[in-house]
Amino acid sequence: MNSVRIRGYGIVSTYGAGVAPLVAGLRRGTAEPGVLSDPAVAALAGVKVSALPPQMFRFDVDGSLAMVLAAAGEALAQAGVQQPLGDCAVLCGANTLALAEHSDSDHRRVHGSGRAPLIPHPGELAERVAYAFGATGPVLTFSTACSSSANALLHARALILRGQVTRALVFGIESLAMITLSGFNSLMLLDAEGCRPFDAGREGFQPGEGAAALLLEAQGSGARVLGGANLCDIHHVTSANPDGSGMARSMRAALADAGVAAGEIVAIKAHATASRENDAAEATAMRTVFGDKLPPFTALKRYLGHTSCACGAVETVAMLAALDAGFVPPAAGFVHADPALGCGPLTQAQPAAAGAYLLNYFGFGGNYASVVVAHG
Amino acid sequence: MAEARRVFIHAVATVTPPAPLTHDPDNDLGALAKQVLGQRLRQASHFIELATIGARLCLNRAGATAPDMAVYVGTALGEVRKTDALFQQVFPPGTGMAAPFDFINATANMAAFYVARLAGASARNLTVTQGLGSFEGALQLGFDDVRAGAVDRALVGGVDENCFPRTAYVRRWPLRDDEVMGEGSAWLYLTHAEPGALAELLSVQRLRAPLDTAGLDHIVCGAQLGAADTGVLTGLNPGATLHHYIERCGSYPTAAGFGVAGQLEGQPARGQWAHVNRDIDGTLLLVRWRVG
Repeated sequence: MNSVRIRGYGIVSTYGAGVAPLVAGLRRGTAEPGVLSDPAVAALAGVKVSALPPQMFRFDVDGSLAMVLAAAGEALAQAGVQQPLGDCAVLCGANTLALAEHSDSDHRRVHGSGRAPLIPHPGELAERVAYAFGATGPVLTFSTACSSSANALLHARALILRGQVTRALVFGIESLAMITLSGFNSLMLLDAEGCRPFDAGREGFQPGEGAAALLLEAQGSGARVLGGANLCDIHHVTSANPDGSGMARSMRAALADAGVAAGEIVAIKAHATASRENDAAEATAMRTVFGDKLPPFTALKRYLGHTSCACGAVETVAMLAALDAGFVPPAAGFVHADPALGCGPLTQAQPAAAGAYLLNYFGFGGNYASVVVAHG
Repeated sequence: MAEARRVFIHAVATVTPPAPLTHDPDNDLGALAKQVLGQRLRQASHFIELATIGARLCLNRAGATAPDMAVYVGTALGEVRKTDALFQQVFPPGTGMAAPFDFINATANMAAFYVARLAGASARNLTVTQGLGSFEGALQLGFDDVRAGAVDRALVGGVDENCFPRTAYVRRWPLRDDEVMGEGSAWLYLTHAEPGALAELLSVQRLRAPLDTAGLDHIVCGAQLGAADTGVLTGLNPGATLHHYIERCGSYPTAAGFGVAGQLEGQPARGQWAHVNRDIDGTLLLVRWRVG
């Protein structure tokens, strides 16, 4: 047995707090702006923040932590797991720049000017979540750009399979920050019209924010994480090798680790940032791995925005939520096929067949993660 | 599940800025970069050079690079200087525009990318952060993966940079007035093969249990290890030698990497060794290895 179960999941997304509004949005097939109107989520599920020890929250419960607690609370409720979590790892994928900026802006809001006297270190969020839910296992924050929380998910599987923990809570968090917005803008990676994955007119993505959490255990019900891979495409700091070799290697390694043949994949959730070069590389990579039997593939960033370090958790939860609701969502934002790609994503929802699904997460620094999950 | 393999340390390297640590060493890595890497890295930051110089030194000593070598980096703060630069660029009175390479470099895993690229290592590549336990977190990943057979070769580093003036740094990381602000890059090259090894890595643990580690010949004291802890350890390990190193590298969150690798850079005495530290929440951080 090399798989672990995703016993529960939860999310705060552009559609609001919880899985239900997300599924409704994905079913409508309509795109959202990607940015939350109020990141300090009003409805916190599963935990009473006011009951938490104040010394653990010296900067109060900010929007990031509130989102994570809401998503994690929903995941625990779905799994039917009681708190304290005990022998449970807490593994996070988070944007350290955004956390730093929010800490600073909180200080400015309170004090009017200046910089924060101390900012929490980037790993502190995971420690607070572990404390809040009574988790006593390893706590670690993965910081590998857009593959961060996918790598956290793969590490959770390894910890459980090796018998090092009973369960693992994995989460990803991304909140909009001026620095990341300005940075992506300066790299000309933002599309004012929104993300158009694999579209002939694609120019980049729209920024997103949100949080998602998954609770993993060895046994029980829920989708199975069959395997996955993390590796480095050393071609360039921000661009994939245009021949798609790095991405293809990631997908092949994930399939091998999962013990799944390419022909068994029901559908693919592409990373699909809608940048001209990276979508082209991903399309080439998929055609390399699957040949003329390329399964249907979709892309989720027009729905959710690009949630960066959190997208490994956010898009995994979104995909699982849609599959549990019985469908594979189409790639919102895709209208005009790009002949240069030789393939195009789903334009209509299709029924979710039982079987293995491949999920891709490709980040800056050539950090690639591919995950294979079995559903149904 | 296959039987766990033993894990051996085959090479180590440490890089710290030249003394005095209280001066801005912004350009001090240039000569070292040319000497070790053969060049300054174009568009790379101080943090990235700090990491890559240490990693290359370690690999040179190991006499090994391989595409299947995994890279694990632990850093508590990541790119401190470039993050500060971005704040100044984006917020008033800055222009509002982030400089592209400052933004790219501020992505915390960029040092691991450059390390991998220079070594031609296209396998697993992970950057983790967990405060004072960041180095130990990375070491745990590498140790577990080699032990479980998930990877055969692992390059593990702990890297953190400082910034100036000191008041800017202590906004990010608390220092007592008597602590010297340090920075550094320390690396270990791990494999499952025993021949030629410097030491056997025995365990990497994060413990909430009382300090009860016995059987040690050498105790390397982390920055947060208090006098009470030292007293308990010497009581449990009579005759053990205490080693202190913070005065050599200064205080920084991943100095434990220097504490472990630095002991193996010379001619370490035979016996059972442990680096012992405490995280801010009191959790014990324990790394054990055996020489000879």
